[in-house]
Amino acid sequence: MPKEAVRRKLGTGVLNRGDRLFFGITSAASYFAFILVALILVFLIAQAFPALKDQGLAFVYGSTWEVTPEKAVMQIGPMLYGSVLIALLGVLLATPMAIATAYLIVFILPKSPAKLATNLIDLLAALPSVIIGLWGVLVFTPIAQGWADFLHKNLGWIPLFATDKGTTSLNSSPFIAGWIVAVMIVPIITSVTREIFSQFDRELINGALALGATRWTVFRRVILPTASGGITGGVLLGLGRAIGETVAIYYVLQLSMKINFFQILEPRGGAIASWILSRFGEATEAEFHGLMAAGLVIFITTLVINLIANIIVNRAQPWRK
Amino acid sequence: MEKVVADPRPAKQPWNKSSKLASFTGGRGFADATLITLAFLLAAVVFGLLLSVLWSVVSAGAGAMSPQFLYQNNRYISTTTSLDYGGVGHAILGTLWLVLLATMVALPLGLAIAVYLTQSQSKLRNLVRSITQALAGLPSVVSGLFVLSIISFLGAQKSGIFGALALFPLMLPTVARVAEEALRLVPADLRLAALGLGAPNYRAFFQVILPAAKSGIITALLLGLARVVGETAPLILTIQANNGTNLNPFDGGVATLPTYIYGFISAGYASSITRAWGASLVLLILVGILFITARLLTADKKKKKAKK
Repeated sequence: MPKEAVRRKLGTGVLNRGDRLFFGITSAASYFAFILVALILVFLIAQAFPALKDQGLAFVYGSTWEVTPEKAVMQIGPMLYGSVLIALLGVLLATPMAIATAYLIVFILPKSPAKLATNLIDLLAALPSVIIGLWGVLVFTPIAQGWADFLHKNLGWIPLFATDKGTTSLNSSPFIAGWIVAVMIVPIITSVTREIFSQFDRELINGALALGATRWTVFRRVILPTASGGITGGVLLGLGRAIGETVAIYYVLQLSMKINFFQILEPRGGAIASWILSRFGEATEAEFHGLMAAGLVIFITTLVINLIANIIVNRAQPWRK
Repeated sequence: MEKVVADPRPAKQPWNKSSKLASFTGGRGFADATLITLAFLLAAVVFGLLLSVLWSVVSAGAGAMSPQFLYQNNRYISTTTSLDYGGVGHAILGTLWLVLLATMVALPLGLAIAVYLTQSQSKLRNLVRSITQALAGLPSVVSGLFVLSIISFLGAQKSGIFGALALFPLMLPTVARVAEEALRLVPADLRLAALGLGAPNYRAFFQVILPAAKSGIITALLLGLARVVGETAPLILTIQANNGTNLNPFDGGVATLPTYIYGFISAGYASSITRAWGASLVLLILVGILFITARLLTADKKKKKAKK
């Protein structure tokens, strides 16, 4: 009998009382995950509704945020765009670093350094974002400012590295925020990639090497294609984390409602979650609902990203079903 | 007699043909060297950044360290008070307490979801897995806003229990996902053998699968803890700060290390920044203790196995 059929048959037997309870509890816990997502949606929508009704669709793409006692105009376009820009920068920086680290750990390093490296990466994953933020603003920003100056001086003719006239110091930019986000998501991508790499059939790799393939060829033609699904999953997990990142970006980025499309060295940008944090303290009743609406936008954005991610990952890893 | 001459051309290697780098440089060694060097360089950046963070926290945090910084609270302390007075004792207790409250719900629930995903035959498993994974991407600030909207709906006062409630949705998917991985790594044959011997599913789980996956479950717990112990945004939104020690989750503000750090960075004075570094060092040590404990437990288990 094929394995699948055996498994199916095992599941259809009559369950005794203990098992019914056992599976009842686990099912209930699982359905709670749905309820939790539904609850989050319902509560956020209920609180966001007054603002959304008031502001209309311009809430998402407009670029004005003016709240006075008489009238409240709340639009988050630049913040939403800025979040995506910073997340993409972070992913772009983090992915090569993560794949390289995972490759070294699994395939190159001897056992004990590999173990040390794994532990260090896991430690990095555990570093709280507020610590990264503190380090980011006091230690990393001066360093990254040097890199930004270098890029601007030598590659300033590329629009990506250009700045506005009159901009003198290149701190608090999406570039720096992108690095901070990269530091936070490297461990996520690394651990997923390492997991996939370590499940490789070593004989496949040794076989390819024995047949005369170079390490480069093995990496490019055997390892990467097989692992790409898992890596994509890790990258999307990182992307979700990056879009929702709040405190660390709050410290290193100059939030501005003047939209910054691609001048990543310019000291103004947006991050929707940080915007919520920055406005929350002195929020009026109307603004409170506006910030809830902003939260709803982040939630829906990340939810969609994650659902797409899961479809890709599940398709890439058929053995998980 | 006709002599057989070996073909002087190198044998064709279909896999190397595809490697443009190798054929471009004419040497296979070059491609390999590039790959390894690049990998080492990129990894060096990662470890450089990590060590920079660790070193900054340790060196700057050491300036704030003293016994009273660890056990005193923040009463009568302003942002410019000398570092001889006041500390983070109240925040350490508050953080541990809130995280413990969140864990008490998230660990059993996460484990139950992991069991459902690996042991049951339900057709809804893929859907549950998708929703759990989607929850893993829940931004921490959204979790805070969610709980804030509950507070506003109930008309309640902000208090510790709401902070714990805001940490719970962040912890749950991490625990569930890592625990699922751990349970999945247990060979299916073990479970089938237990079932074949007549054990009901729950005994197969508690007596065979759970012991086999113990270290993985502990990893799940620790990654879950690590995910929330330093969460700042949800706590800023859902609890009030407190300069004293308060362990009553239903009444009054609670101090936590992340919100303490947040508050003292925002103040911006030299001594307040030093306090923030000091609290960061305490938080880092807390995380470090969790980590090392976990690794030692895992190592112990492996050693025992090797002896047998």
